Amino acid sequence: MSTLPFDPLLAAIFAPLAVALAIACGLPKRFSVKLAYVGFGLPLLLALHVWFYYGTAAQTHGYAFLTSYSTGLDSLGIGLKLGLNGISLPLFVLAGIVGFAAGIYAIQSGAERLKIYLMLLLVMQGGLMGVFASVDIFFFYFFHELALIPTFIMVGIWGGRDRNYAAMKLTIYLTLGAMLSLIGLIALYVKSGAHSFDLIELRRVIAAQPLEVTVQHNIFGLLALGFGILVSLWPLHTWAPLGYGAAPSSAAMLHAGVLKKFGLYGLIQIALPLLPAGLIQWSHPLAWLAVVGNVLVIGFVTIAQRDLKQMVGYSSVMHMGYAFLGIAAGSTLGVGGVVLLMVAHGLSVALMFLLTTSVYHRTHTFALDEMGGLAQKAPVLSALFVAATFAGIGLPGFANFWGELTIFVALWKFSPLITILAVAGVVISAVYGLRAAARVFFGPASPEFTKIAAEHPVSDLRWSERLPALILLAALMFIGFWPKSLSTALDATLSPAPAGQVGAAK
Amino acid sequence: MTMLQHALLVLLLPLASAAVIALCLRRSGGIASILSTLTAAAIAGLALLLALNNERFSESFEWLRLGNFALSIGFKFDDLAALMLVIVGIVGLCVHVFSLGYMHEDAAKARYFGGLSIFMFSMLGIVFADNLFMMFIFWELVGFSSYLLINHWHENAAPAAASKKAFIANRVGDFGFLLGIVMCYWANGTVNFSELATKADTHALVISTAIPLLLFCGAVGKSAQLPLQVWLPDAMEGPTPVSALIHAATMVAAGIYMLCRINVLMVPDALTVIMWTGTATALYAALCAIVQSDIKKVLAYSTLSQLGYMVAAFGLGSLTVSHAHGTDTHTLVLAAGVGAAMFHLTTHAFFKALMFLGSGSVIHGCHHEQNIFRMGGLAKKMPFTFVTFTLGVAAIIGFPFLAGFFSKDAILYLAFANNKAVFAVLALTAVLTSLYMVRLWKITFLGAPRSDAASHAHEGGLTLTAPLLVLALLTVIGGYTGIYPDVFSGVFDLIPEAHGADHTVILLTSLAVMVLGAGASLALYGSTATDSLQQKSPGLFGALTGLQLSFDRGYEYYVAKVQQRFALFLNFLEQIFLAGLIVRGLAGIVGLVGLGARALHVGRLNVYVYWFLLGIVILWIYATFNF
Repeated sequence: MSTLPFDPLLAAIFAPLAVALAIACGLPKRFSVKLAYVGFGLPLLLALHVWFYYGTAAQTHGYAFLTSYSTGLDSLGIGLKLGLNGISLPLFVLAGIVGFAAGIYAIQSGAERLKIYLMLLLVMQGGLMGVFASVDIFFFYFFHELALIPTFIMVGIWGGRDRNYAAMKLTIYLTLGAMLSLIGLIALYVKSGAHSFDLIELRRVIAAQPLEVTVQHNIFGLLALGFGILVSLWPLHTWAPLGYGAAPSSAAMLHAGVLKKFGLYGLIQIALPLLPAGLIQWSHPLAWLAVVGNVLVIGFVTIAQRDLKQMVGYSSVMHMGYAFLGIAAGSTLGVGGVVLLMVAHGLSVALMFLLTTSVYHRTHTFALDEMGGLAQKAPVLSALFVAATFAGIGLPGFANFWGELTIFVALWKFSPLITILAVAGVVISAVYGLRAAARVFFGPASPEFTKIAAEHPVSDLRWSERLPALILLAALMFIGFWPKSLSTALDATLSPAPAGQVGAAK
Repeated sequence: MTMLQHALLVLLLPLASAAVIALCLRRSGGIASILSTLTAAAIAGLALLLALNNERFSESFEWLRLGNFALSIGFKFDDLAALMLVIVGIVGLCVHVFSLGYMHEDAAKARYFGGLSIFMFSMLGIVFADNLFMMFIFWELVGFSSYLLINHWHENAAPAAASKKAFIANRVGDFGFLLGIVMCYWANGTVNFSELATKADTHALVISTAIPLLLFCGAVGKSAQLPLQVWLPDAMEGPTPVSALIHAATMVAAGIYMLCRINVLMVPDALTVIMWTGTATALYAALCAIVQSDIKKVLAYSTLSQLGYMVAAFGLGSLTVSHAHGTDTHTLVLAAGVGAAMFHLTTHAFFKALMFLGSGSVIHGCHHEQNIFRMGGLAKKMPFTFVTFTLGVAAIIGFPFLAGFFSKDAILYLAFANNKAVFAVLALTAVLTSLYMVRLWKITFLGAPRSDAASHAHEGGLTLTAPLLVLALLTVIGGYTGIYPDVFSGVFDLIPEAHGADHTVILLTSLAVMVLGAGASLALYGSTATDSLQQKSPGLFGALTGLQLSFDRGYEYYVAKVQQRFALFLNFLEQIFLAGLIVRGLAGIVGLVGLGARALHVGRLNVYVYWFLLGIVILWIYATFNF
């Protein structure tokens, strides 16, 4: 068990929120910046702490570090209940790592109105830690909204080109997705008759008396649609490339890296164990949408992109297809693979957004045709970018490989045909990934870039960019070389469930 | 230390070397090169120790478990692995030492030697792998290190394009390979080589043609067989020592090694496909090699052709042999395909690495001139390189008593016994091999120098010559299976040997094809600045060039006209329909329905915050009163 004298989960949530509040109350800028390091650093340290001690921590109902706090909403069955199981632990750690990397990158970014920017990021960080630490569905949802609102504002204020349109579209889509899933969650609350949003209680009630099959179908459909929008399921994905294209890098890192995983996490943690019949009903349509839409169509669309940031955005949409495929496969292997992929994708896409911005600072453009030869001037940047590219295309040694591999193995059992189509995606991602790396970094410089490089001397990666990038890369490689660091806990949570029902409490 | 710990050390040393170079020695190329070379020396030493020690073992460690699925990292160290380990160790060390001289002046030496270390790590992983998943992991990693090293001179457009092409072509092959592994896993419940062999012994293996053929796709990519062979000639853009190690001796041979590992899964139909793929590649590449003017390209096509030989040998399958002991005659089925393929893999690794390093010595001596028509007369300028290269040429064309003679005859005999049509094609290929190798040799080394670079050519230092000496020695003695200690008997006992009348037929054929090819070459090619064939028979020359380019043209057409247009078309639909019509329509509906959304529509995002806070307050009040 953790040896800390306080609840590490609660502290990880409230540290960034408290710092945000302090900044909002008018803390001077130099203190704000210093305190922001604490606000981003503490969740990381606490996340690493719980990761390290998870294996030895006492487990209650399959959760470690379980604590309840009264909120005055007990009459509605709402309580702040925090805890981690094998599914939430990897994502909690992900939120800690990406949050820290995005945070220190933002602190050094020299953004305008830095204090407000940091404040919003800190709120987002607090929300993210809360999403994955919450055992109570109400707070799970609440923290998601808490993290989502700053995203809209950051895109609207600090965004790049088309920021108003992007912010509006992002808001409408994500609000719609969140609303649909909220309806689904409330329906679950009502139909189960548990009068509780506590996931443990819901599982107990539903295990005793499963929901009617049609009810399961309907609620699962609602959740799949709502969460599907949030995770950019084709064809409801168009907010993603646009939004990420416009978002400031730290916000894109946190949203694409961590917050977007909320939908998948909700499906795995809530829908799969509580609505097993729903999955059976929806798994084939879901899988076909994911494989044809996300993997193949978006894969080709990614190949066609000429804008580096758009390409990263689309590739992220494509990879989410694999996650849906793992969920459709539904077995311990498939769902475990999705969690591994969520963590891996979160780290690698955050790294990619960070490095893309670093490229922009040197080339002053995202247009792939106007770059070339950057590796000669910025070898460290190019090495990191190539590493991130290979992580994205699933090279062994990086975490992404384990996610993709396990999903493919699980998927064969579900449908060999879909597996064949899905595995074709690994060729597609190699095509666009390596093409982009070659266009940005290798070969001779384009005339446009030569001109820009003459006007603005190009330097290699600064330490303020290098440090967050190295943190993300180190995490990717640590999991890549030692997948058991996550899979043992995952397996323990997913495995003991009876057939057709994953994720149930022990 | 136990043998297992030795094996673990062999595997992890190069990884540690690569990590240290990447993290600490980026700016100290000199130290990096020494570290990497010492690592290679340690690997070679430990490899010999492991191989010559009679202990064979297998051990595995669980690496990932989800449900019933477990993935292990393990060591299967049998005679096959021991042989491959020794090849990788020796050729690896030679190439590292050669690189010390060859890459001495290079600005990015640290990256180069770091890349070599990553390659050694990945390749050794393939050698030790005890299951298909682990092999796939390291399979991808050698592809990555190959990418890295081909792209060493990344400031030029050609290496950048070649590295990308190599990785993508391999990915296409790996698409099938991965599906094959997954299918094998679900069909047989295991992908562990030993467990598969046990199942095969008890006839519990699922008989499937799809599984071995899908797995073979991996070999088609990695060993550059038709139709994915296009990446290997382009890969010559990498530094020459890399071509010797990765693109001639070891990595490209991994496909054959993998096939030998999964021999138990083979079924006759699959073997037929494999056999003809290899045979076609052997012939095709030999035809292409005749019209090359770049010294490395000739060797690259020759590698392709020889890899085709090995794949064909494997596909020829087993041989039923009778042994007469007095009155008793007992027959047994010999996995002769494995024996012949691995034997040729071994000798080829030595003589082809020798020739590639020899070409590196030539290129180094001629100040990076690679066109053989601008060389000539190098025999006098670079006598040591000339003698060793000549040995390599003699070995590959099957000159008696050199390494290639024995291994090629084993393959020809197997073909003669199992399939006469394949035998005919392989014999024809041998004529062509003799033709283009002697052509290369004559134009490069004989006659008078045809350029300033060639007339000022000079022999390199000890780091360049010593590896040539070692490899030349192995080229001379490598074909005598008697010199190998018993420790490789698990492989070498499988080599088919001709007896009696068959023996005479094979020997005569072999000598005839060699003399025919070499004679034609000596008669046809002069020491001139242009290709004699091109002058005497432009039609034939043009046809061969067209044949060589046909695949690349086809793929270029596909990429530019099919794939790219399809991608642009889908992107057009994406932008127009989804982003334009449907979604804005949807946005409009949402805007009409919801007041909140309407507020957002005018861009006032903070309104959303107020709604959110208001909602919380209402909820709280509701809960309080309800309580």
